[in-house]
Amino acid sequence: MESNFLEIIGSIFSLSLGYATIRISISIIFASMGEMITERSGVFNMGVEGIMLMGAFSAAVATHFTGSPWIGLLVAAVVGVLIGLIFAFIAITVKSDQAISGLAIYLLGVGLSGYLLQAIFSHGGNTPKVETLPMIHFRFMENIPFINEIFNDQSVLMIPALLLPVILYFVFYKTPWGTWLRAAGENPKALAVVGKDPIKVRYIAVLAGALLAGIGGAYLSISQTSLFGEKMVNGRGFIALSAVIFGNVKPGGVFVATLFFGFMDALQYALQTVIPDQYFPREVFMALPYIITLLILAGFIKQSSGPADIGNPYEKESR
Amino acid sequence: MKIEKTRRFLLKHQAVFTSILAVILAFAMVGILLLSTGRNPAEAFGYFIRGAFGDMFNFANTISRVVPLLIAAIAFIVGAKGSVFNVGIEGQLLLGALASAVVGWGIKLPKVIHLPLTLLAGTLAGGLYALIPAWLKVYRKVNEILSTIMLNYPAFFFNHYIVLNVTPLEGVIPATPFIQETAKFAKLVPGTRLHAGVIVTALVVVFAYFLLKKTALGYEMRAVGLNQEAARFHGIPVEKRMMLSFFISGCLAGLAGAVEMAGVHYRYLDQFSPGYGYDSITVAMVGLLSPVGAIFSATLFGALKTGILDMAVYTEIPRQLVTLINGIVVLFISAKSIIQERFKRFVKGKDPASLAEENK
Repeated sequence: MESNFLEIIGSIFSLSLGYATIRISISIIFASMGEMITERSGVFNMGVEGIMLMGAFSAAVATHFTGSPWIGLLVAAVVGVLIGLIFAFIAITVKSDQAISGLAIYLLGVGLSGYLLQAIFSHGGNTPKVETLPMIHFRFMENIPFINEIFNDQSVLMIPALLLPVILYFVFYKTPWGTWLRAAGENPKALAVVGKDPIKVRYIAVLAGALLAGIGGAYLSISQTSLFGEKMVNGRGFIALSAVIFGNVKPGGVFVATLFFGFMDALQYALQTVIPDQYFPREVFMALPYIITLLILAGFIKQSSGPADIGNPYEKESR
Repeated sequence: MKIEKTRRFLLKHQAVFTSILAVILAFAMVGILLLSTGRNPAEAFGYFIRGAFGDMFNFANTISRVVPLLIAAIAFIVGAKGSVFNVGIEGQLLLGALASAVVGWGIKLPKVIHLPLTLLAGTLAGGLYALIPAWLKVYRKVNEILSTIMLNYPAFFFNHYIVLNVTPLEGVIPATPFIQETAKFAKLVPGTRLHAGVIVTALVVVFAYFLLKKTALGYEMRAVGLNQEAARFHGIPVEKRMMLSFFISGCLAGLAGAVEMAGVHYRYLDQFSPGYGYDSITVAMVGLLSPVGAIFSATLFGALKTGILDMAVYTEIPRQLVTLINGIVVLFISAKSIIQERFKRFVKGKDPASLAEENK
């Protein structure tokens, strides 16, 4: 009995759990890093889920018709930017409530991807199987234990996903762009005084965020799986929002938060195979990211504050 | 002068016309999308009208769709009037449906008590769940749009778990067992989905109208929604009223789920809601956050839901069109301020000077 129990524990906490964590996290890393850029500029985009859906959908469609997942990836990025442009126009230029604008983008993403999916493929709830992005195999890793099992033979998108936090750290804190970006979120008036247009900075930040969300979506349909299914993003966009909050809108923090949520999801899948559902509610694990986020928001978990001016439209004349 | 009169009328009701304009623009956009995906919008529209209102059966089905939409929209409106933006109606509605299904199945009582008790269980479940984001908003300053949208997921997971592991499964569909006959709404038109829950819906509209317009409590809730500082200055307990708005909003959301369960499905069916909670936001916003306005917009969107079923059968137009229309409508509604600006300019005859005057 006891050895049996240990065996089960061993089978759950094996290196394949590490592999699965990375595999699951990649799409959320793109989305959460993108949202972090957006939020740093003072804009809160709740529509990430919708943009990811459109990214996942357009990637699968473009790949289906061209046969090239690389074109699929490119199309997803472009579609992400286009939807980001709609959001930016409403939230920044029209100065509508950012949360309502985000809600509209979410509903638009669900509706448009669902509608076009049926309109183009008219059968079932998914696209046909498509070509996927290549997996990469590093020769040099083969002899390194742990690293090999976890990082080798992942999607090619793992590389930019792992580099993003590092790059963004440098951009945020070591370049003038980072200073302008953070100023747009902290004190847009001061930024305007030094001759930079906060609206332009916020536009760029929203579009960059949307581009990454589009890629995060594409990863789901042309790398992690090989088709698009209706509503396949399944809350990952909201998990990304959670990760940005959990990670305190900082590259390192958001990255770790994303991996943590990815790990929880991987663990939930692993547990599912060994423990019958009635003894272990895996739904608890699935609900965990949301609950943790609410606990943070409620102030039960200590967090320093994010950008000061987040959520407020920038007014040129008054204030 | 007649033109002057029309002009003044249009300006006085500019909010209504802006809302209608936003919906028309959204539908025009949908028409373009239909065209660009090789579908005929005129044909679609014809089938839609026929499917929604064409005969007694279709009309009855349309009304049955209006029921959950309207109750949920009223839930949103009561919240919004009290400065509470409850996007968590979907989750509260699901919990309400589950709680009422359990009460409707688990106990045996005479009909006069059983059905009301079933509805009450759903109402309370929704209301109690709404107290979480209410407390977070009022005492922890957490944006309720974010907290409520996030709370929709745990509610769904919770119900999923209960249905699969706690209540007995009958067959392969994840659902609770069927409720007792005593907990069901009677069918109003045999062979359709239309049931006596329509009466409850009417009561909810009347309740909301009187609460908001005719009672001191409703007045205070609206005062908090308009200007918290001023409300506080006048001695209104702002925090308590906000909690109450949220609670009532959640209660009505739960009731919407309970009514749909007791009138249409007779059990809690996992994923029974085609997003009524989210649709209700669109309905409420198009209805200008007024209980009476919501009747019209709920009818429009209820008709969409049934009309599109017919359309999907005869024209190869995907039923997902409803969600798409929802998204586009919310998009246009959230960009309403420019539409309103253009509308004013158009009515006034493009005179920027007088427009500036008006804005002061």
